[in-house]
Amino acid sequence: MKNTISNEELAGLVEPARLHKRLYLDPDIFELEMERIWGQAWIFIGHESQVPATGDFFSTNITHKIPVVMIRDKEGQVHVLHNRCGHKGAKLVESRDGNVRGAFRCPYHGWSFRHDGTLLKIPNEKGYEGTGFDPSDSCNNMQPVAQVESYRGFVFATLSSTAPDLKTWLGGAVDCLDNLCDRAPEGEVEVAGGVLRYEHECNWKFILENLNDTMHPMVVHQSVVQAAEDYIASLPASAAKQRSEAEIIPPFGSSYEKFEDSGITGFPYGHHYDGGKTSIHADYTVLPAYHEAMVKAYGEERTREIYSFNTHNTLYYPSLTIKTAVQNIRVVRPIAVDRFVVETWSFRLKGAPEEMLQRTLLYSRLINSSAGMVGPDDLEVYRRAQEGLQSSASDWVEFHRQYGRDQQLPDRVIGGGTSDLDMRTQYKAWREYMTGEIAQ
Amino acid sequence: MTDLDIKAIEQFLYREASLLDQPDLDAWMQLFTEDGTYWMPAMENQPDPLNHISHIYDDRVMMEIRRRNFVHPRAASKEPAIRCSHLLGNIQAQGNTADGDLIVTSNFHVILWYREEQRCYAGTCEHHLVTAPSGFLIRHKRVNLINPDAAHKSLIIYL
Repeated sequence: MKNTISNEELAGLVEPARLHKRLYLDPDIFELEMERIWGQAWIFIGHESQVPATGDFFSTNITHKIPVVMIRDKEGQVHVLHNRCGHKGAKLVESRDGNVRGAFRCPYHGWSFRHDGTLLKIPNEKGYEGTGFDPSDSCNNMQPVAQVESYRGFVFATLSSTAPDLKTWLGGAVDCLDNLCDRAPEGEVEVAGGVLRYEHECNWKFILENLNDTMHPMVVHQSVVQAAEDYIASLPASAAKQRSEAEIIPPFGSSYEKFEDSGITGFPYGHHYDGGKTSIHADYTVLPAYHEAMVKAYGEERTREIYSFNTHNTLYYPSLTIKTAVQNIRVVRPIAVDRFVVETWSFRLKGAPEEMLQRTLLYSRLINSSAGMVGPDDLEVYRRAQEGLQSSASDWVEFHRQYGRDQQLPDRVIGGGTSDLDMRTQYKAWREYMTGEIAQ
Repeated sequence: MTDLDIKAIEQFLYREASLLDQPDLDAWMQLFTEDGTYWMPAMENQPDPLNHISHIYDDRVMMEIRRRNFVHPRAASKEPAIRCSHLLGNIQAQGNTADGDLIVTSNFHVILWYREEQRCYAGTCEHHLVTAPSGFLIRHKRVNLINPDAAHKSLIIYL
């Protein structure tokens, strides 16, 4: 695409503790973000458990426009291919998921492709004889995405052939993916219970900023916290005790001190999490049957260690955010400068009682559903920012909270739980991706 | 089932719809039995509300929390006006549940006004109705959207 904005100009839009409103409003910047951030970072595609059998596929977009398909071949290998026919470019699959029996078959001229994307057959092929066309040339295949790697079943792909390997890119933030999987007695998770898709009429970065913004929950979610607390308190004790909602909703109203204690940790490439020693998910009841299965699998000490690493939200910048203690994830899919979709997926902890999955689904429904009582209030404030930032009153948005107090360790930055460290972490990465400081 | 019975069922469903149009969640909730539930699945033919994600699955406790949240002065997403217009049709009695509740299906079109935008929802409802001395009560209402798996915008009122 045409580069109308110089690197110098881009760098000037993000200062150490404030950023320019164009990041939310300018369609040209959005296009550059798709090319330089979403086109270079490792983007979460899906989980291997979504394609358990030969030919099973899941399709999505890796940037706002580029359609890809994740598919399992008969050797069990999972591929991420461009969802584009090697002939005229038509998408090979249209459904979000399904099974490709035998081979992909283009609905236009019937070209077929193996599950690994290689061209299998062209109808009436003799018309190509002597024309210089070489059907064995890989340019006629469904093209693989430049790099594809999986970590404990989580499949990431990048359009960049020079991006660092996935493990390097995940860095210390990998601890959270490990903790999510370790919470399964069998050490593995699988997608279960379907997906919620939630359309957001605002810039994609608002949700990333909100994840570890611990100064907002007690304000934005005050109404539902009060509604839940007041009403549940009025119920007979025996009835109130049985309500999982009583554990899930009220912690959103936790005090500034509680959030401060949870801490925030930032990493290279923009990843960050809040919590660790504690989080708003730390006081959930441990089901006896689950605890028993965990102790049987890991022993008492290791089980305690797994529980005790309790994070709230972990962002793998820019596409994936996970909740280890809840076992759900949200995936960000940008569409335009003022529109994106969030997908909420829930996970089953293999070897755990089914009640654990039911609690995860209850959480996803109460908190992350477009018809829930938490997500819509978050979206409302993002939209107000999207609209308010059009104002000519100021060009800048600040993030000074605890600026200058971030503690730089060899592989990470740590700070207080109500710090804007998460903002500084992700916008440092934004600047590096956008101006080419991260190797291309 | 006589024409009069069908008429009474229709009148009950229209009344329920008009309470949601206003919306008057306080009066609407009173139409449910104490063990009443409201369910909006997130996939077609969803077998159950607990082992698969749903948009909404509320019992009376959750309805009351939602009602209190709906009228709370600090709920920012409830500040813009919300107005609905329900249109019901194809109302059919479909027999009884194992517990003897009446099964009634209907088609609905809801036009919803929210945040300077007019939106359209459509689908089929399934009501399980109990005959009480005061008239009908709802034991279960299932709202099957025609697009349960679509990316939806914030929906902050029951349909």
